[in-house]
Amino acid sequence: MSGAVNDRRRINGPARSVEPIYTPTVLDSVAKGRSDGRGLDHMRPIYAKAGPISDAQTTASASGSAFYEQGSIRISCAVYGPRSARKPNARRAHFVCDFQYAPFACSKRSPTQSTDEHETSLWLSNTVGPAIRLEMYPKSSIDAYVTVIESDGKMPTLAATINCISLALADAGIEMYDTVAACSMGLRDSQWIVDCTHQENAECSVLVAYMPSVDEVTGVLQTGKTTLEVHEQGVQLCTNVCVRVYAVICRALQASVE
Amino acid sequence: MASTEQLTFAIETFKRIHPVEFQRRFLSQDTRHDGRAFLQFRATHVVKGTIGTAQGSATVRIGNTTVVCGIKAEVSEPDVNTPDQGYLATNVDLSPICSANYRPGAPGDEAQVDSEHIFRLFGEVVDLKQLCIENDQAVWSLSADIVCLKSDGNVLDAAIIALMAAVEDLKLPQASLDPATGVVSADKAIETQLTLRKRLFPATFSLVDDAYLVADADDAEERLTTATLLVVLDDQGHLANVWKRGAGTIDR
Repeated sequence: MSGAVNDRRRINGPARSVEPIYTPTVLDSVAKGRSDGRGLDHMRPIYAKAGPISDAQTTASASGSAFYEQGSIRISCAVYGPRSARKPNARRAHFVCDFQYAPFACSKRSPTQSTDEHETSLWLSNTVGPAIRLEMYPKSSIDAYVTVIESDGKMPTLAATINCISLALADAGIEMYDTVAACSMGLRDSQWIVDCTHQENAECSVLVAYMPSVDEVTGVLQTGKTTLEVHEQGVQLCTNVCVRVYAVICRALQASVE
Repeated sequence: MASTEQLTFAIETFKRIHPVEFQRRFLSQDTRHDGRAFLQFRATHVVKGTIGTAQGSATVRIGNTTVVCGIKAEVSEPDVNTPDQGYLATNVDLSPICSANYRPGAPGDEAQVDSEHIFRLFGEVVDLKQLCIENDQAVWSLSADIVCLKSDGNVLDAAIIALMAAVEDLKLPQASLDPATGVVSADKAIETQLTLRKRLFPATFSLVDDAYLVADADDAEERLTTATLLVVLDDQGHLANVWKRGAGTIDR
């Protein structure tokens, strides 16, 4: 349902609008294989590019940027910084993530999206923040602006966002302990499947953000109900897949330098 | 004058610290800093159907400027005064991701002005009566959002081209209203496209440094622009819109 708020600064449509009821598609059980032919532990193909915006060399361009695609998830991130902060006497840099969905990014536009965006922005700052050597940049602020152009599955989109921000931060030349690689898994028919699409609609999902070089997990997110053993199994499997994602990010960084 | 070695190193610095003089060096010689002629446009690439979650979409690249437009269709009740007309809301989104000139959050002045102008332009293009599902009860409400991903000047042209392509790409599923429940259901298997009244072709000209009229200014030239002129032609070659902004004066 589109927002009932009349925003003076935008051209508004009608106050209330809803999605029509589409004929639903029913998915087969996991045993028959996934709808796009992937294996249970296969991620969607990733395309990552560092520096598409910052290369433009315009005066107001970002310090670092990245464009990240995973299947049909498309995310663009621009990093500004280190630049002067409002708190001039801080000993560490102030890292802020500003996350937003493009209005056409999700299959449903909902008014809760904006509260979602705030919460996600905070969570991203806390997940990617620990990877940055903030104490190297006193009195400054590092801002990461992320726009999700197309989203396909909430948890995979969040994981992709973390990868994108890590790539952009590295492109900006900001000192970090390691790039954060993230991946999500969904539970369907008591089996953990990597990288569920929106259509696959897992009843329970887990997301892990991991720094392979220092072997540290910076963030774990779980939605849905499951037992502790199944959850631990999921987190372990997810961490293993994160290492593969990490390799992709590193290769993208190497390609941008060459 | 400094030796050739020192001069080559200083070009980037010169561009940074004295952009006006840098541009003047080229403009006074009847050329531009990227080698284009005054009235030459950058190569434009349009790709339709780039966003799977939107019913209509297009990505446009003019040089380094990249703009994405996505149109989402939802159903709502029509306005009491126009029971057979749907809605088309167009919004331009300029965020820090494309340039440091924009702040995050609510749309700023430039975005609001562009949104309003594009909204009025496209009132001539789309026949809102085509968006009617059931007279006086259900109509399609289209939300067109134009997001700028990279800004290297002339975002307005790119935005208009993107919206034009997205509207051409728009596929509306066949919808029907169930009179008993008042619920609209739609079948994605059968899709229709809109027949547009006209097609628009924009061109922006900028008065750089109060003296030189150039077409399709990029970011470096836009910073020195005192006035811009947007000319929009339709597919019959008629003038659809002329919009001059800025305080500079442009001779005939």
